[in-house]
Amino acid sequence: MADLGRAALVVSLGLALYALVAGAVAAYENRRRLAASARNALVACFGSTLVASIVLGAALLRHDFSFSYVAAHTSRELPWQYALSAFWGGQEGSLLFWLLVLSAYGALAVAINRRLLRDLVAWVVPVVGGVATFFAFMLVAVSNPFETQPRPLDGAGLTPSLQNPYMVAHPPLLYLGYVGLTIPFAFAAGALLSGRTDERWIVATRRWTLAAWAFLGIGQLLGAHWAYVEVGWGGYYAWDPVENAALMPWLAATAFLHSVMIQERKGMLKVWNMVLVALAFELSIFGTFLTRSGVVNSIHSFAQSSIGSWFLGFVVVSALFSVAVILHRLPQLKAKTTLESPLSREAAFLYNNLLLVALCLTVLWGVLFPIVTELVKGETRTMGRPYYDFFLRSFGLPLLLLMGIGPLIAWRRTSVSSLVRTLRWPIAAAVATGVALVAAGAASSRAGLVAYTFSAFVVASIVLELVRGTRATGSLWTLIGRNRRRYGGYVVHAAVVLLALGVAGSSAYGTSRERKLSRGESMTVAGYTLTYRGLDTTRAANATEVRAVVDYSGRASGTLRSGVNRYPAEQQTSREVGIRTNWLRAEDLYVITDQIDRNGDVYFKVLVKPLVNLLWLAGLVFLAGSLVALWPDAREQRRLAARLALARA
Amino acid sequence: MNAVIVGAILAVAAVILVALPFLREPAAADDRLDIRTPDEERRLALIEERDHALAALKELEFDHRTGKIGDDDYRQLVGPLRRAAADALASLDGNARYGPRMTQTTMIEAPTPAPVPEPYPPPDEGTPPTPAPVPEPYPPPDEATPPNPPQIPPP
Repeated sequence: MADLGRAALVVSLGLALYALVAGAVAAYENRRRLAASARNALVACFGSTLVASIVLGAALLRHDFSFSYVAAHTSRELPWQYALSAFWGGQEGSLLFWLLVLSAYGALAVAINRRLLRDLVAWVVPVVGGVATFFAFMLVAVSNPFETQPRPLDGAGLTPSLQNPYMVAHPPLLYLGYVGLTIPFAFAAGALLSGRTDERWIVATRRWTLAAWAFLGIGQLLGAHWAYVEVGWGGYYAWDPVENAALMPWLAATAFLHSVMIQERKGMLKVWNMVLVALAFELSIFGTFLTRSGVVNSIHSFAQSSIGSWFLGFVVVSALFSVAVILHRLPQLKAKTTLESPLSREAAFLYNNLLLVALCLTVLWGVLFPIVTELVKGETRTMGRPYYDFFLRSFGLPLLLLMGIGPLIAWRRTSVSSLVRTLRWPIAAAVATGVALVAAGAASSRAGLVAYTFSAFVVASIVLELVRGTRATGSLWTLIGRNRRRYGGYVVHAAVVLLALGVAGSSAYGTSRERKLSRGESMTVAGYTLTYRGLDTTRAANATEVRAVVDYSGRASGTLRSGVNRYPAEQQTSREVGIRTNWLRAEDLYVITDQIDRNGDVYFKVLVKPLVNLLWLAGLVFLAGSLVALWPDAREQRRLAARLALARA
Repeated sequence: MNAVIVGAILAVAAVILVALPFLREPAAADDRLDIRTPDEERRLALIEERDHALAALKELEFDHRTGKIGDDDYRQLVGPLRRAAADALASLDGNARYGPRMTQTTMIEAPTPAPVPEPYPPPDEGTPPTPAPVPEPYPPPDEATPPNPPQIPPP
């Protein structure tokens, strides 16, 4: 079967290359049948990649260790769902998954728009074909998942920390996001190559961009929850380079989703939007380079390999291509209008964009810093948590404030008196919240206090906006139905507020204690008394589970278990934390077993994390808001069709 | 062996799919891509301009109704926006009436602008809201007839 997989990949490479070359010739020479043929090549590329994926998936489920990839990432005792998740758990498989999603997205996007935007789509096909050619080439020539070997008795198994339900969903969601950013990039490049730089490419890619952005957001939150429950260090985001690799394109895409509204309404920021789309795409490829090159130390990295230089080369080539096509059409991208006032909705979007891109670039600099110091000084220096926290506060808090101001400010311009009148209730809510928090003793963290106060301001402004809009239209349902993207966006803003509350609460107001306990001994943390009762060892399907049994009392009472899992096939251990959520106090009691002595004594680290669960609730609200914004709206296509028909009439 | 056969079938199927447009039309009478002409592109730009102008008017109405914009700001903004919408409609109408070769400047100066139709829905909105009761004075100051000079009693 490995032969079939290899053959399918070679066919995929040939088809992607054909889509690139024939598509470019067809678009340049204005040849209809050749353009249709290139489009079909993208569809066929998806088909052959699907065959290759089925071959690998079947090998993983059958534990066919004659496949080197299967032997390297699974074992006989590995449950089937984790065996299947090894598809994207290793380098070669994840590249195949990337190509599968890319060819599916590309074929679908081109098929949907082939009639209305045929002149644009003619140029989109070679761009998608170009990206697919790169990945197919990598799979065929550099990192083939269908290498075979003499069949060993058992495989090496999957890294224990990846044997978690979140790992079944987190990586594919991130890939759906990363790869999804190729579609707006391809349409933007197609618009530039064809000279059709009006709004058509934006209408065509609006939902693709939203979907990719939503997948990246949900994927990151799932990853954060995985880190919280599985990695066992007590946090959920460590500013790890690979975590940052997912954050950067998400920030760029967030900036684009806001700035594109200015182009739609005022015809401004055309160059900026092209730059943002290209930046989001380049950062998604750069993230893949970071994960695979071995240039940065990360728990997420794949084994160091030569694949990184290929990705770096692709990033450079595609960035040069983006710059060249933007410069080529620069005169066409000039804005027809100007910003009328610094006090307007479009100005608020602009400030939001500057802050988002500034945050994105500071994170990028933090990721690149170790590489730069290695190249310049020969020693690796990393940017620590204080660097990232400083910039998160510096740019994140003003962004939070803007989220409250933006919805309530009018397009074009507004007077200071109007603005103050509009904002008086949100300001009152923020001040009241701030005073109440200071009275409750929350002033111990200035950043936390500011975050909570700004959050109250944003919530009040969203509520006010919904109330006024409902009054104007007669019903909330009508209001949301009229502009799902805007009101879905407000739901996402509410999710960001929950995120801010969760981050501020768990980091600024958390408590942590460490202590070695013998059987029967106790420790007290933030109103909880924990008593260590002893060790308990059980044998699971593929691991030995050792747990310290701890009784807790005080703010809540019960028993929790915290310890380690020992995986004989992988010859590794994983830390398994004990977590109890106190819903009444909205906090988590989080117990880490740092070390177990031979005599049964245990070194415990105990954390009490207020409001941390708001992060996971934020994920659900984010998903709901994204769905509202993403919900299909046939009116958009109808309007575009009407415009095109009128232009032709 | 089975894998080789399946692989061969896959390759043949891919080739057929790619060649399908040529198999369907071995000798096409017109093999050009149906791309838009420069005149159509120009009209499309005018339509886009018209939609922007009308969407801006609707947005202004909505912002006014929801209290985001005060009466004074509204009066200052509504006149230029109406003129922009009328200009865009006139341009489009002139383009249709006098042929696609008219320049935009000429079209704006077309002698009789067409009657303004119902605002075209903005890019992402459906049914327009009920028009707001426009505060006094109406029409806005920049469009209204100048007030009569005060009567000075004879000495």
